[in-house]
Amino acid sequence: MAVAETKNLTTLQVKRFKPSDNPTNTYLTDEKGLWAWMTTVDHKKIGLMYLGAVAFFFALAGFLALALRTELWTPAKTFIEADTYNQLFTLHGAMMVFFVLVPSIPAALGNFVLPMQLGAKDVAFPRLNLASFYIYVFGAIFTFISLANNGFDTGWTFYTPYSSDANSAGVIWVTLGVFILGFSSILTGTNFITTIHKLRAPGITWGRLPLNIWALYATSIIQVLATPVLAITILLLSMENIMDIGIFDPALGGDPVLYQHFFWFYSHPAVYIMIVPGFGIISEVITTFSKKHIFGYWAIALSSLAIAFIGFLVWGHHMFTSGQSSVATTVFSFLTFLVGIPTGIKILNWVATLYKGSIDMKTPMLYVFVFLFLFTIGGFTGITLGALSVDIHLHDTYYVVAHFHYVMMGGTLMALLAGLHYWWPKMTGKMYNETLGRISAVLIFIGFNTTFLPQFVMGAQGMPRRYYNYIDQFTIFHQTSTIGSYILGVAFLIILYNLMKSLINGEKAPANPWNSRGLEWQATSPPDFHNFDHTPVIIHGPYDYHQPMEEFQLGLAVSHNGHGDHHEVTTDETEKA
Amino acid sequence: MSEHNHEHHISTAKQLWLVGGALIFLTILTVVVSNLGLPSPLDIIAALTIAFVKAYLVASFFMGLYWDSKFNAMLLVGALVFFFLMVSVTLLDTLYRVDAVPSF
Amino acid sequence: MANHSATHPAHVQHHFVDSDQQFESAKLGMWVFLVNEILFFGGLFCAYIVFRAWYPELFTQAALELNKLWGGVNTIVLIGSSLTVAMAIRSAQKNQTKGLRINLLITIALACVFMVIKYFEYEHKLHLGIAPGSFWNPTPEILHELSDPRANIFFGIYYMMTGVHGLHVLVGIGLMIWLYIRAGKGHFNSEYYTPVEITGLYWHLVDLIWIFLFPLLYLIE
Repeated sequence: MAVAETKNLTTLQVKRFKPSDNPTNTYLTDEKGLWAWMTTVDHKKIGLMYLGAVAFFFALAGFLALALRTELWTPAKTFIEADTYNQLFTLHGAMMVFFVLVPSIPAALGNFVLPMQLGAKDVAFPRLNLASFYIYVFGAIFTFISLANNGFDTGWTFYTPYSSDANSAGVIWVTLGVFILGFSSILTGTNFITTIHKLRAPGITWGRLPLNIWALYATSIIQVLATPVLAITILLLSMENIMDIGIFDPALGGDPVLYQHFFWFYSHPAVYIMIVPGFGIISEVITTFSKKHIFGYWAIALSSLAIAFIGFLVWGHHMFTSGQSSVATTVFSFLTFLVGIPTGIKILNWVATLYKGSIDMKTPMLYVFVFLFLFTIGGFTGITLGALSVDIHLHDTYYVVAHFHYVMMGGTLMALLAGLHYWWPKMTGKMYNETLGRISAVLIFIGFNTTFLPQFVMGAQGMPRRYYNYIDQFTIFHQTSTIGSYILGVAFLIILYNLMKSLINGEKAPANPWNSRGLEWQATSPPDFHNFDHTPVIIHGPYDYHQPMEEFQLGLAVSHNGHGDHHEVTTDETEKA
Repeated sequence: MSEHNHEHHISTAKQLWLVGGALIFLTILTVVVSNLGLPSPLDIIAALTIAFVKAYLVASFFMGLYWDSKFNAMLLVGALVFFFLMVSVTLLDTLYRVDAVPSF
Repeated sequence: MANHSATHPAHVQHHFVDSDQQFESAKLGMWVFLVNEILFFGGLFCAYIVFRAWYPELFTQAALELNKLWGGVNTIVLIGSSLTVAMAIRSAQKNQTKGLRINLLITIALACVFMVIKYFEYEHKLHLGIAPGSFWNPTPEILHELSDPRANIFFGIYYMMTGVHGLHVLVGIGLMIWLYIRAGKGHFNSEYYTPVEITGLYWHLVDLIWIFLFPLLYLIE
């Protein structure tokens, strides 16, 4: 074996490249004009375009949420009709899930960061990457067409037989939109898996992959395995709508519960598509601002994969009251508890990372703490809901609504905000106002809990979700919740103001404002068109805060074919210039 | 390219024709077997076994998995595993319903 | 290729180190996409299995309406086209542009034969009123044979499966024509034949799917 091993070692000439703090040539100045942006294949620009689109839909769907909460201020009608209300909550859910949460972290932040963390110049298939963005836009257009065609009020889950009977035109358009959107997700996943496997810079072994990459890897696997099932489900639903093929129609011998199986075979793993990349961001931010090696690297890395795998086997917990067999419900309930284990492992490791770290309470770190609190509540209430007998009582109540908002908003969106504030200097080359950033984080924490904690209580007392009216005893909870939602709205406006202001007259960001050991910070802010002006060589893990910075700024001294399956770089073989 | 350790495998024409011939033979075989009128579970087992053998031949030799990186083969197997998980867990419900479709 | 780090061959995109990395990436990407395809069809197969387990007698009855002979012929046609695609890749690997073009042409022809046979099968069924969903309107003789009131479920699945598969064949034909044109311009050689290789993978998958569709739909009775 010794012979084989020496054969696999490549000697690389490396030298130190300290990124300049005042880059003259960046990806933002590389090519200008609208057309250059629209046809760019640069992963960084595509990431920014995704970010813009996601922010747009988030604002839209958030606005709808405020409208819904306003309507719920009084037990009866406040200002919109019941039918409009049904359409609004459907639109809010569908947009948040398909247009915001699914693409938010992987396609927007992931696109920007992933090749940089791998030391690659771009993702493996840059043109597919651009195509995925346009497919996303195209899918969005279909949703708007649907709105012009009576809209849809089925809830974001499009359950049959209602979705295949009532109000077809709008449902057909929006489901086709979701079908198209799925391809955008598939392309991103395919791209990421290939990039992670084939485009790692010399020295990035699987054990030195940043945890963000591990998380994106797990996410991509889910995207690739689950999204096609959504596509075929939606296609069957459309056929059901267009010509009653009967597979989901009980009147023709079909089975509506089968639709739910198919739908949740995608949509349950899809919640992991939303949350797992968030885990990656948390791991990055928490080490950077604790200045400490991550606790339990492999535990965090592999628990992402474990979540991805177990996440495929628990979809039936959405269907405990749908009439599926009691054998299936029991098995699903048991498997649901299992998902808690890898998630618990992650939380434990993050908290252990904080232990004896030198914690710096910058804005991204504040969001991480918000995440830890909210997501833990969301996770625990998820276990509650996963218990079969409890779920029979809580199913389709506000308890469920509160639970998934704690997970999706308290989890994914907080991670997204942490990541956004963390990488903002890298993306734009500008620093935002730290004080405003901290204020917004605190406001979000307050607003969020004011909005959603009361929903747990009224849900447990029996307030059903998606209802337009409610009985008087719930008034106080609904009104508190509505007030909270306005606080949230204000907080998001502050974030928007803060970030936009930084673009206009923000301080110039240094290459590595947080003193991170991550590879993406070894490039200039904003990075060069090719990310690095050299091929980086990695001899330490991304969290080795006990190592001096210069060992993280190594690059190839002479151009060399260092890629491939076998780029072992050992310290004694490297020369420092 | 020739001295590189990532040399691409080139199948001989004979190999390819042999595999193609075997596939056509198996196709005829499966039709013949189906005409035998085997009792219920057996006919399905026979048809699927032949189908899997054919699939193995196509994947290994036409798609080159036999010589290719094992990871690509793992992807194919992984996809099948997830497909079987999807089917078997769905069947946990549909096979054990008290009344499959009550309204019908 | 080993030490060509300074000179980037024209076909290698800027973000790849060398031709090998690009080839391996493209192939891996295609395999990941094929995983997608398998689970995409997997949904349909799942529906098939669920309903077959519920209504076995319906499936045996309805399968009689499908023509085994033409199904078998189509299977052989597709296998033949898989063989020619494999031969096309071999030609590209051996720098034989002429062989590449001929093999692609035969593949396109066989794929078209498949679609034509499929068309006549559909045409025959639609003529008898065995149509999907709301167009279901069988002639009295057929209704007599298909006494099961849920027969349209089987044909719903049949049309979805073969329809989606047929769509893939059409896409494949398009890709082959594109390859044929590019091969004519001399774009492919032993150093660079990635599009031929990955289109080949796609085409073999279309074949693989049919290898399972054929016994499940036509033969099990």
